[in-house]
Amino acid sequence: MMKEVFKIEGLSLFYKDLQAIKNIDLDIYKNQITALIGPSGCGKSTFIRCLNRMNDLIPEARMEGCIRFDGEECQVTGYDVIGLRKKVGMVFQKPNPFPMSIFDNVAYGPRQQGVRNKEVLKEIVEKALKQAALYEEVVDRLNDSALTLSGGQQQRLCIARALAMEPEVILMDEPTSALDPIATQKIETLLEELKKEYTIIIVTHSMQQAARISDYTAFFYMGELIEYDKTNVIFSVPKNKQTEDYVTGRFG
Amino acid sequence: MSKRKIRQYLLDSLTYISTAISVLALSVIFFFVLREGGSLLSIDLLSGNYHAQGFVGTLINESDETFELGDIIGDKLFTVERYGIVLEQTQDLAGDSVIKVYYVDQASPLRNLNNTDPSANEKIIGLREGMVLRRVSYQEHPTSLTSRGAEAMANDLNDDSREIREVIFSLEGGGIRGSVITTLYLIGLTLMFALPFGILTAIYFNEFAPMNKITKLMRNFIETLTGVPSIIYGLLGITVFVPLTVRLTPASNTNLIAGALTLSVILLPVIIRTTEEALKVVPNDHRFASLALGANRTQTTFKVVLKQALPGILTATFLGIGRVIGESAALIFVLGTAVKDQVRIFEPSTSLAVHIWSMMTDEPANIALSSTIALIILLIVLILNILIKATVFIFSKKGSA
Repeated sequence: MMKEVFKIEGLSLFYKDLQAIKNIDLDIYKNQITALIGPSGCGKSTFIRCLNRMNDLIPEARMEGCIRFDGEECQVTGYDVIGLRKKVGMVFQKPNPFPMSIFDNVAYGPRQQGVRNKEVLKEIVEKALKQAALYEEVVDRLNDSALTLSGGQQQRLCIARALAMEPEVILMDEPTSALDPIATQKIETLLEELKKEYTIIIVTHSMQQAARISDYTAFFYMGELIEYDKTNVIFSVPKNKQTEDYVTGRFG
Repeated sequence: MSKRKIRQYLLDSLTYISTAISVLALSVIFFFVLREGGSLLSIDLLSGNYHAQGFVGTLINESDETFELGDIIGDKLFTVERYGIVLEQTQDLAGDSVIKVYYVDQASPLRNLNNTDPSANEKIIGLREGMVLRRVSYQEHPTSLTSRGAEAMANDLNDDSREIREVIFSLEGGGIRGSVITTLYLIGLTLMFALPFGILTAIYFNEFAPMNKITKLMRNFIETLTGVPSIIYGLLGITVFVPLTVRLTPASNTNLIAGALTLSVILLPVIIRTTEEALKVVPNDHRFASLALGANRTQTTFKVVLKQALPGILTATFLGIGRVIGESAALIFVLGTAVKDQVRIFEPSTSLAVHIWSMMTDEPANIALSSTIALIILLIVLILNILIKATVFIFSKKGSA
């Protein structure tokens, strides 16, 4: 039996009166890649933003139900949100490195936690960049602006930036949708590596991508979780008609 | 030609004409100031005293020889062989007609005079090159005045029948050093008060404040304050800041601190607005990225957002400085109109803009000097502009977008 990192029970999310997520039950397993698929506006992104409580930043958003992270209820008021975000990193759709040097970007997280020692920071940055398969490409120009990197490199830098915090889980919101096929492939290979140490939840619009890299796949539609199973099951013998239509490209 | 084409040509030519008129209007101002004031612009003007120190001296011994001054030739130079001096009809720093001492012979009796001021430390004073000869009064003869010109003054002095009673002379005056220093003080003090408050307020409104009716109302209120005429702030200054500074500091009247405080209030809305605009253009992506890394709101604001808003904040600073340099109405109330050479922050003085006001309310108005000061103000603004641009450029090179 695999260990659950997240245990989600009856999760609903409302923007004012609009219900974006409807009563979702879902377990996320450790050291697995879980892909969330579904048409635009089906609540996938909203869902992963519940997991590191980024929805807190939207004043109208209201959450119901229960999310357990490592067995502890993390959606309750008073839970250490900052601590949660340290353990649950996030990579966004558009590469969004800070306009600082490559080094400073990766060192940003640890620095905010009070790491000041230069040697320690150097080690963290080096390790994170190596894990993100970016080190070789930028080793000579760590002090250059992160904005001089290509889009794919920037996205891997954002992954390195998240890895520098040594999280348990990495949430990825369509991380390759703004990248070309070669950069996409690099990131997919990288995810295979990262899964050994981290739990990865990835939102994607590319069915092939979900099929290629993920171990589990969840199909969302209109804010509901239609089907959740092992990826090879979803893509070969889905139980639900809607899922089958979607993964075979008949709608969505 | 079709109707649509004609309309297009019409619109195009309107934009060209408008541009031409705008550019023309702006260059006319610049060239007017340059033409009127350019001739007076000098380092001496910038570094010189406004108030000329005056002296009144009496002869120790009457001249008994005639000096040879033959080879001094000049249109506006007039020799006084009897006393061994040469007078020049010229202008002082402020452009007023004066008689300057062009040359004083080593043996001239006017080199050493008794100081008639008994309280002065120097008992012996003397005429030197560069000093301004104001008046010479004689026994039983009418006084020679500056207004009658250097030639008449020289003729009177050469007249053997006249006996000098008093020589009234002074250092050269009309410089604007005091006003330049006051302006610099004002810029420094005002920014010191207004920048931190303004920037932090903008941060509160843009980053921390909940989006509700009260904050919306406050923002609208601040926006309205941007358009309030400065003389109204001057009223605030004279009713609040002047009494306040008089009570709390050694000041006994209008003073520089009250001026800076008043200007700070004028600047606050400008700085808040500009900083807010700068904060707004920082992409939300960066805030989310920082928060998702476990940084808290304060860290996100000060480490990520503020850094990127820096060019905008510099613009706010620049606008602020421009406002300080250009402000006159409010300062007339709270800083005063008396031109000072020794600037003290607890005493009245004048900024450059108010100096213009003082010059133009003089009788007659000194348009030349006013234009020179205007030119100096323009130059300062220009230099500031270049400095800000350079800073922004350096920042953007250093890794920002």
